[in-house]
Amino acid sequence: MSDKGGKGSSLPPKGIKSSLKSTTSNGGSFKGKEDGSTKSKKGRKVQFDSDKVSPKSSGKTESLFSKGNTGKGGKGDNTASTVKKSPSKPPPPLELKVEQELPKNAKCIMDAEALQILQGIQDQMVILSEDPSIKIPASFDRGLQYAKTTGNRYTDYQSVRRILETLKEHGVTEGEICVIANVGPETADEVFALVPSLKGKKEKLMEPLKGVLDELAKLKQLA
Amino acid sequence: MFFHIILERNMQLHPRHFGRNLRDNLVAKLMKDVEGTCSGRHGFVVAITGIENIGKGLIRDGTGFVTFPVKYQCVVFRPFKGEILEAVVTMVNKMGFFAEAGPVQIFVSNHLIPDDMEFQSGDMPNYTTSDGSVKIQKDSEVRLKIIGTRVDATEIFCIGTIKDDFLGVINDPATA
Repeated sequence: MSDKGGKGSSLPPKGIKSSLKSTTSNGGSFKGKEDGSTKSKKGRKVQFDSDKVSPKSSGKTESLFSKGNTGKGGKGDNTASTVKKSPSKPPPPLELKVEQELPKNAKCIMDAEALQILQGIQDQMVILSEDPSIKIPASFDRGLQYAKTTGNRYTDYQSVRRILETLKEHGVTEGEICVIANVGPETADEVFALVPSLKGKKEKLMEPLKGVLDELAKLKQLA
Repeated sequence: MFFHIILERNMQLHPRHFGRNLRDNLVAKLMKDVEGTCSGRHGFVVAITGIENIGKGLIRDGTGFVTFPVKYQCVVFRPFKGEILEAVVTMVNKMGFFAEAGPVQIFVSNHLIPDDMEFQSGDMPNYTTSDGSVKIQKDSEVRLKIIGTRVDATEIFCIGTIKDDFLGVINDPATA
């Protein structure tokens, strides 16, 4: 079963028997760098072998190898990414790519903002629910519940928003800002660990991020 | 995470709803049709927040139904790969545990649970570290990272991990 199709054209697949390469796109990138230890990456969903669980999960991967491993153009669909460093092909870290996946007019909102909106709607729903034919969907309740537990961290989400806007000048995207707000990290290292896409700008961001986190710490509600 | 987004939909209305309350009927129908649904692109529509615009109605040939294009704003919840979320554990078994964050179900396989945590069965099955200091059981809160999502007709299902730095059980005053 050699690599079919366009990708693996330069690659001599002989002797590399272990590959149950159902995803040939992975095979295509082994430009001779093959250690023969291509673990069978079945499908793309979230299957992974137990023998991939190497103790070296540093969480940060050194992506020196060709990034062509991700069959789907860098979306980081490799489930093994960021967690396991498989011997021959450390996949790139899983990055949050919000903006590409949603239409342009989508606005990321923090959990605290969502909470305000949903609570407003819930008040109206109370009036509406007297009408028996209207039923409130379960996902609304669950969404509200979730927003309550996570959104209660900050009392004043407008100041939080203002503070995080300053990070935008340093090139942090909306999606990343929302993740930072929702997670409520305590140290800058935490931010870089949890949002790998910021690592590229680590030096630039370190100082402003520390300032921002200090400000946020003052606003945190000890719920 | 939550998003505030403008979506568009073509609503069909039967003539019996026409009249003074046409707009209200249209909005009510929209809410009934859309709230609570989910799609792969937008995630769960949690709530509609407002109507942006209702276009001119077009009568369908052959029937009396009229189609209105409606633009509306809504709050959606969509999980993303690479996102960090806090979820509440709903079930623990030896394959891993299930957790819920908003309307979304997340499964964390035992391969993605740190190796020092082991499954303990019992009437309250849980995962515990070897020294017993950290425990994951039903109703625990955990911070996890989403690594994969799957959408079907009515719900979104995710796979998560807690094997990274700063992930795992949340003990409120202390560390994550």
